[in-house]
Amino acid sequence: MRLVGKTAFVTGGRQGIGRGIVDAFRAEGAAVATCGRGARPEGLDDSVTWYELDVADAKAVLAIAELTSGTDILVNNAGVQVEKTVVDSTDADWDLVMGANCRGVFNMCRAFIPAMPQGGSIINIGSISGKVADPSMALYNASKAFVHGLTRSIAVDHGPGVRCNAICPGWIETGMLEAGFDLSNDPQAARADALARHATRRFGKPADIAAMAVWLASDEAAFATGQLFTIDGGMTAASPINTGLF
Amino acid sequence: MTGILEGKTALVTGGRGGIGHAIVARFLREGARVYAADLTPQGSLAEHDDDGSQFVKLDVTQEADAIAAMERVQAETGKLDILVNAAGIEIEKTIEETTLDEWNRSFAVNCTGTFLTSKYALPLMRTAAKSGASASIINFGSYDGFIADPGLAAYCATKGAVHALTRAMACDHGPEGIRVNAICPGYVDTPMLQSFFTGDGSGGGGKTIDQLQQAVRDVHPMRTYGTPDDIANLVNWLASDEARYASGQLWVLDGGLSAQVQQMRL
Repeated sequence: MRLVGKTAFVTGGRQGIGRGIVDAFRAEGAAVATCGRGARPEGLDDSVTWYELDVADAKAVLAIAELTSGTDILVNNAGVQVEKTVVDSTDADWDLVMGANCRGVFNMCRAFIPAMPQGGSIINIGSISGKVADPSMALYNASKAFVHGLTRSIAVDHGPGVRCNAICPGWIETGMLEAGFDLSNDPQAARADALARHATRRFGKPADIAAMAVWLASDEAAFATGQLFTIDGGMTAASPINTGLF
Repeated sequence: MTGILEGKTALVTGGRGGIGHAIVARFLREGARVYAADLTPQGSLAEHDDDGSQFVKLDVTQEADAIAAMERVQAETGKLDILVNAAGIEIEKTIEETTLDEWNRSFAVNCTGTFLTSKYALPLMRTAAKSGASASIINFGSYDGFIADPGLAAYCATKGAVHALTRAMACDHGPEGIRVNAICPGYVDTPMLQSFFTGDGSGGGGKTIDQLQQAVRDVHPMRTYGTPDDIANLVNWLASDEARYASGQLWVLDGGLSAQVQQMRL
């Protein structure tokens, strides 16, 4: 067990990648707290502390930071996605996406870093979409690029005490991915096409992302900081043109 | 009309190939004296076009050819302001299918060629830089040096090497007044691309070449692939004094292709 004796706080642990990280940290011996908007989700292990928290709310974040003072590992996973172009995006869309994905990460880091012990590790969930654009995801893409830039700044400003890295997931099997395929004219063909664009011929699982999060949180990663770690089954290593699929 | 390369001497390797030929033509229009270096006067073009450039026979893999070419430029003009390393080949295979000979040939043309031509051009380029305007080397990388096309392993590797070589050359020779940049084209309509479409690497899937080409265009945000003139436009700028602060960079020109993630059919 690689995280024994460490405390971890994971935002957005209700489901998906966040829940995967909560479970993996717990299995590695960490004491884990997580949060989300709303009540404690069903099935969350009794050993995990749940906080009702909107990360966009700076005051509420500060109160939680005081309660959990001395956290070793902070994972900023909470995020939202709005599927629109710049022209279609409303002010409310901006507030929602930037509030959770940008201000939320900023709020958490600002509140948690001062009390982090030596050797603390911050892991932000960025995205491949912060490096290359997903169509009709303008604010989301931009918000993830913000996370990538903030990751480097924190690493530079708060080393050697605290390390800060980002994980950039690709397509991960979640309810959201399935719902996307269901909207297609031919969900089976869409799924097959998307799979063929992954060198691994499968999509990611929350556990794939959690595995990297565990490593980055552990002391094995003591020299890793300021970097973006892409986990996408090889998708963005390949050109978008794959004439074999035409 | 005075061109922006008036008074400059340029040498373009692969100067009688798809992109190289367009660069030669543009340089000539901008007033430069241009040496088009290639294996034959026709190069990979369908026919020889007597475009007003000086033809230099140059196999970029041969050190003696590089020395002879630069001796000729030295004798005729005494300096070289612009070097474009556009000669390149593409082997459409995975590493398992690639023979050692093909691998070595890919590196010999795409990397060693860039090395040798640049190495022997440097003394002439230092002379040019003494005029006060910087000299400019433009290498050919590729968007394939960043992300992979399937079945192009040796090509991808050589282009990644050219990117690193570009930065190293910029570092070493910047203090001498020599700028070094790389152009990284995406899909450009050249004999090399046509050979890709008709070759085994095309996949095809029962489509005609026209349908396949349209499908490739449709993946681009600009809904087209580039022309050699599109590439020549940026090469021309990098060669000119307007680009006097541009060095050590990789300039991707691909119609937005690599700015996006995989375009799934959803």
